[in-house]
Formats: sequence, structure tokens, C-alpha cells
Amino acid sequence: MVGLLAQAGEAARLDTPEVEWTALAPVLVMIGGAVLLMVVAALAPRGSRVGWHAIVTIAVAVAAIATVVPQWNRVGDDGPFSVVAGSVGVDRFSLFLTVVICASVVIATLFTDGYLRREGLEGAEPYVLMLLSASGGLIMASANDLIVMFLGLEILSIAVYVLAGMHLRRVRSGEAAIKYFVLGAFSSAFFLYGVAMVYGATGSTNLVEVADFLARNTLADSGLLVAGFALLLVGFGFKVAAVPFHSWTPDVYQGSPTPIVSYMASGVKAAGFAGLLRVFVVTFGDYRLDWQPIVYWVAVLSLLVGAVLAVVQTDVKRAMAYSSINHAGFILMGVQAASDRGVSAALFYLAAYTFMVAGTFGVLTVVGRRGDGHHQLSDYAGLGRREPLLALALVVFLLAQAGTPLTSGFLAKFYVIDAAIESRSFWLALVAMLSAVISAFLYLRIILAMYGSSDDAETADGAAATAGPRLRVPAAAGIALVIAVVATIGIGLVPDPLSETARDATPELVASGD
Amino acid sequence: MLLNQFLILSAVLFAIGVYGVIARRNGVAVLMSIELILNAVNINLVAFSAMTGTLAGQVFALFVIAIAAAEVGVGLAIVLVIYRNRRSIDLDEVDLMRG
Amino acid sequence: MTLLATVNSDVPFNVAQNVGFGVIAVLMVTGALRVVTTNNVVHAALWLVLVLAGAAAQFILLAAEFVAITQVLVYIGAIVVLFLFGVMLTRAPIRGEAGLTRSNWFGGALVGVLLLGLLSFTLLDTFGGDRLPADTRLTLRPAAVSQAEGTEPTAGSNVGAVSDSIFSRYLIPFEAVSVLLTAALIGAIVLARKE
Repeated sequence: MVGLLAQAGEAARLDTPEVEWTALAPVLVMIGGAVLLMVVAALAPRGSRVGWHAIVTIAVAVAAIATVVPQWNRVGDDGPFSVVAGSVGVDRFSLFLTVVICASVVIATLFTDGYLRREGLEGAEPYVLMLLSASGGLIMASANDLIVMFLGLEILSIAVYVLAGMHLRRVRSGEAAIKYFVLGAFSSAFFLYGVAMVYGATGSTNLVEVADFLARNTLADSGLLVAGFALLLVGFGFKVAAVPFHSWTPDVYQGSPTPIVSYMASGVKAAGFAGLLRVFVVTFGDYRLDWQPIVYWVAVLSLLVGAVLAVVQTDVKRAMAYSSINHAGFILMGVQAASDRGVSAALFYLAAYTFMVAGTFGVLTVVGRRGDGHHQLSDYAGLGRREPLLALALVVFLLAQAGTPLTSGFLAKFYVIDAAIESRSFWLALVAMLSAVISAFLYLRIILAMYGSSDDAETADGAAATAGPRLRVPAAAGIALVIAVVATIGIGLVPDPLSETARDATPELVASGD
Repeated sequence: MLLNQFLILSAVLFAIGVYGVIARRNGVAVLMSIELILNAVNINLVAFSAMTGTLAGQVFALFVIAIAAAEVGVGLAIVLVIYRNRRSIDLDEVDLMRG
Repeated sequence: MTLLATVNSDVPFNVAQNVGFGVIAVLMVTGALRVVTTNNVVHAALWLVLVLAGAAAQFILLAAEFVAITQVLVYIGAIVVLFLFGVMLTRAPIRGEAGLTRSNWFGGALVGVLLLGLLSFTLLDTFGGDRLPADTRLTLRPAAVSQAEGTEPTAGSNVGAVSDSIFSRYLIPFEAVSVLLTAALIGAIVLARKE
């Protein structure tokens, strides 16, 4: 008997890889925190006045950010490294995006707390799902293998589909969820087909091996690889809401609970761009002449469609959805440049944009009132008089989105256009500046509605604009708005810390064992 | 066996699945069409795995099966939410938001 | 057409394998067409079983036994059952409805045909008459991180090789799948539970 076991033990000798726990720390913290929150929330008594769930969630996200700091220094000293048999890569690019995604979780959580109380939704599940979704995004940001990237994408997406439909009593929330799910699963399947094409063309799914293969061999017929590019772009394009894969964005943004939209517009987009930059700019860098034209046209369409359709909307939430398509176009300009400057410009834009757009949707959450349904332009009439601080915050965010100097938005757009000019895409830069002018109309319209006189402002049902209901701004939302405003103006006045960090955050593919 | 016979079969299933997602009205039927697409991808992956002699394709196919299971679970839950609110899973009726 | 020499052109033509492939392929395509055209959702689920079983058979032809068994167990054994539960819970009429096809079916057909054409052209152009290698028994390539040199784990069977690779090279995806399943589990319960 013992002899048999000994024999079995000898035959099963497997080389398990070393697991570098410190490298996986941010992801582990998020996942562990989510599970812990789920268990504790199930055991703890309900209905407490202080938002313990939100506090724990924010603590987990901040802890994840804290684990990034020692790794940042380590990468600076020793260079980027990859762990666990080359499937996860740690470089400053992934660490930067980890911080951006965790920051978006913090801000969205602060808004979610007040929202859940107001709507009477109990339970810690929204927070748990947001943490799990963010962990999927973190996995995407540091993936060195297409399998890992796809898994990160799916974790991110499935949790967000559920979050979109979280408000069970509202019909629109369920419809947003099913629309997001069907189109999302559809585009994930396209993405998967693209991965299969790349695998067939290069013989591996590991990004390092793919890059090596493409560098060493010139493919006699690159049709399969280009088909793979196109299909991968469909998948990524859907996630970042780029035209022509944008049809879900207005409906899903309009129907989903507004604080969740704040997470979608910032965190999910950041994760999508993380994958896009890592796969296209770094891995397929040698074949940029094949994919740059496609990204060029996607960027042009996103810029124009986003700006033009945003201006004609009457529903503010929908208009913001189209404006986020426009912003995606700007970031795609950085991708299209396919240079170090383009990557750092895209990263700066993502970081600045996270605070801007999360703050904007936070204000929308507060103005939406109970039922999350008051998002017409008329609901903003006279806001400047009723809630001066709230209106001021919204003004800051909208001006930043328009690209006004002294706000982070101006520098973000400037860097991206600069990268495009450096790569000699002059027409693209021109289109971008044109779209910025067009979308400025939208932002100014909202600002004017807030501060316009009661005679000019449109009123709904004959109610006087200045006599509208007083809005309850929850304490947590107030904190989040302060953070976002400080970040937006702070980055606008003192951009160097962020731009230096973005310039250091170059993505690199490193084979394991180095 | 030719490699292409598997790849063309997979392309045919993919195309049929795409048609199903676009043209089917029932929410559950759309989910089934998505499963067709995922199966097409699986055949593709395993065929390439056999061609190149690496295991990555087979392992990835296993993970895709697991992901498909998770997606179907969540998808049916969302369909249930729609059904509870509107007593119907006809996707044509669900399109409230326009513009 | 590519001017490269056909890969593996010396592999002999195995009649049994090709006939098997042909029969299964025809069944699969028929089943898939019926899934997207039938008016009865329950029938669609059953035709889907045919397609899934056919895919499992193809995996066996490609010497991927573990994937084939997993396909049968998970897809047919769990996912189709889940579909049938979904059909039952949404009270779909067993006998069929007026029509399950939307008015834009022609556009969908056009898109499908277009995609098929593009993909087929690309595939035929790239691979032409390349044949699969005769011996499709796969052994694990050395994992990127290997403790001792020269120790390439040899696995005698497909199951062994796949499981070796899951616990060595693909450890992270394996753990990530468990996170995915947790998220899906929590999500599905949150949405579907009775208030």
C-alpha cells in the first residue's frame, strides 16, 4: 500500500511556479476585501445609520492603492517584472492604472452610499460587486497573457451587468442591464474570436511570446493577424464606448443607477483602455501600420458622433453618455499615436477624466432625487440659487470636460492633441479641436440653465424654477464632490506630479524569469 | 484532416450565432445564439491547438466553457428581472429608451 | 493564394476521420440553423444540445478528450438545463409563439453572410490545404518558470497534460475563473432572489 502511494508520489512531480504574492497584492486585497465584506455584511445587524459597507469598501480600495506604492519604487529600481509563469506583468503602467481604477471605486462608493439609502435598497452586494468588478479591471491592467486579459474583462463585465440592473423596482434599470448584457456578451465573443485568430497566427496567447514571434518572423500573409486585430478591436471598442460600438452607451447610462454609471464611465473605461494600450500599442507595435488606420477612423467617428449627438439631447444623463463617447475619442487619439508620448497622454487623460466624470455623475445622482428619474434640463433650472455649492461643483466639472484652461481637462486634451501632432495626424487633431468646440455648447447650456433667470428657464408642469425642492446632499456625496473638485482644479494648476508620473508609466512586456 | 475544415465549420457556426443575436426576439433565444458563438470559438481554439502542438488552446477552451456557464447564469437572472417587471421577455417590447 | 508550401502535406488522408467529421459537421450546422429559426424556445434548446454534442465529438476527433468531456458535463449537463429552467420560469408557451424573429432578420442574415464570407476568405487564404499533424498527442511544453533545468513534465494522457498546465503555467487564469464564478454567483442571486 505504502509502495503504491510512493509510486504515485514519484510519478506526480509537477513544477509549480513561484507565486510572488507582493506583485499580486492589489488584486488580492480587492478580492479578499470583497469576500470579507460579503461575509461580515451577512452576519452583522442591518439598518445602521453610519454606512459601514461604504467605509469598508473605501478602506479596501485605499489599501489596494497603498500596496501599489512599494511596488512602484521596486519597479523604478529593478525594472518591470512578470510573475507566475509570465501571465501577470508588473510595470509602472499597470500600477498607474491600478491606482486610477481604485480611485474611481472610492468616488463611486461615496455616491452609492447616499443613493442606496435614498432609494431604500439594503445590503452590501452593490459594494461587493463593485470591488469584484474593479479587481477584474486590475487583472486586465496587469495581464501578460490574452487568456488572463479575457478573464479580467469578463470579471469586470459580468459584475457591471449586474450592477446596471441593481435597482430591481425600476423598469429602466432592468432594461439597461439586458441591453448591456446582450451587447456585451456579443462583443466578448467577438473578442474571443480575435484571440483565437492571434493564437492561430502566432502559436501562443502569451503577449511576450506573441511580441517575440512577430518580431522574429515576418508573416507571409498577415490576413489572419489583421482579422484578429479587427475582432479584438470590436471587443475593446465596446468596453470603452467607441463608435461604431457605442449603441449601448446612451441607453445603459440612462437606465442604470447613476452612481453605478459614475463607476462605469471612469473605472470600466480605464480598464478597457488598459487592455487596449497593452495589447495594441505594446504587443502589436510592430504591426502598427495595420491597425493604426482602423483606430484613426474609430477615433474620428467617436469624436464627432459623441459631440454632435450630445448637443441635441434634452436628458442630461443621456447627453453625458454621448459626451463620454467623445472623451473616449480623445483617449483613442493617444492610442492611435502608438508612441510613448501617446501612451502617457492617454494615461494623463484617463486619470484627470476619472475625477471629472465621476464627479459629474455624482452631481447627477444628487439632482436625480428619489427614483433617480429627474434628469431633464428643466430639473437643473435655477440650481445655482437652490444649491449654490452643488451647482458650483458641477460648473467646475463641466468646464473641465470642455477643456477650459486652469482645469485638468485643458491639459488632458492638450497632451493628447500634442501626441497626435507629433505622430503627424494633423487632421485628427483638427477634428478633435472641432469636436471640443461643439461639445462646449452642451456644457455651457447646462451651466446657463443652472444660473439663468427664472423667466428664461424652462419649467416643468408650471412649477417655478427657484421654488424647486431642496435637494438633500448626503455627507458622503459631499466628501466625494470635494475630492473630485480639488483633484480637477489641483491637476489643472499643478499638473507636473501627474504628468511626470504618467510619463514614467510606460508599459513594457517582460518575459518571466528575469 | 485539413485544418480549414474545422475553421470553416467554426466560421459557419459563428455567422449563424451572429444572425441569432441580431434577429431573435426572445431573450432566452438570444442567449442561446451567444452560446453558439462561444462554441464556434472553442472549436477554433482546439483546432489551432492541435495544429501548433501547444496546449494553450485547449486550456483556454476550458476557461471559455466556465465563463460561458457564468454568463448564462447572470444572463438568465437579468431576463428574470425583466420578466418580473414587464411579464414578457420580448426584446422588441423592451426598447423603451430611444434617441 | 499563398505561395507557401502546404504544411504537413505528407500526412495520409484518413478516410474514417474525414467521414466522421463530415457527418458531425452537417448535423451541427443543421442544429444551429434550427436553433435560430425555430419558433419554439424549448425546441431551440434541444437543437442546441445537438450542436453542443457535435462540438464534443469534434474535440475528440482533435484528440482533446478532457475538453470534450468537460463540454458534455458543463454545457449539456448544466447550461442547457439552466436554459430550460429559464424558459420555464419565464412561462414561455411550450407549444410555440407567433414568431420569435424580429423584423430586422434580413439585415441580420446579411451581416452573418458577410462575416462568413470575410472569415472564410481569410482562412482559406492563410491556411489553404494545411493538414493537421498525424500525431496530435500533446505534451506540456516546459513552463516558463521551471525550478530545475531539464525537467519537462511528461504526461501520458491528455487529461494529465491539461491538468499539469492548469496548475503550473495557467495558475492565474485558474484562480481568476474562481473569482469570476463568485461574482456571477453573487450577481445572479442579487438579481433573481425574491424580495
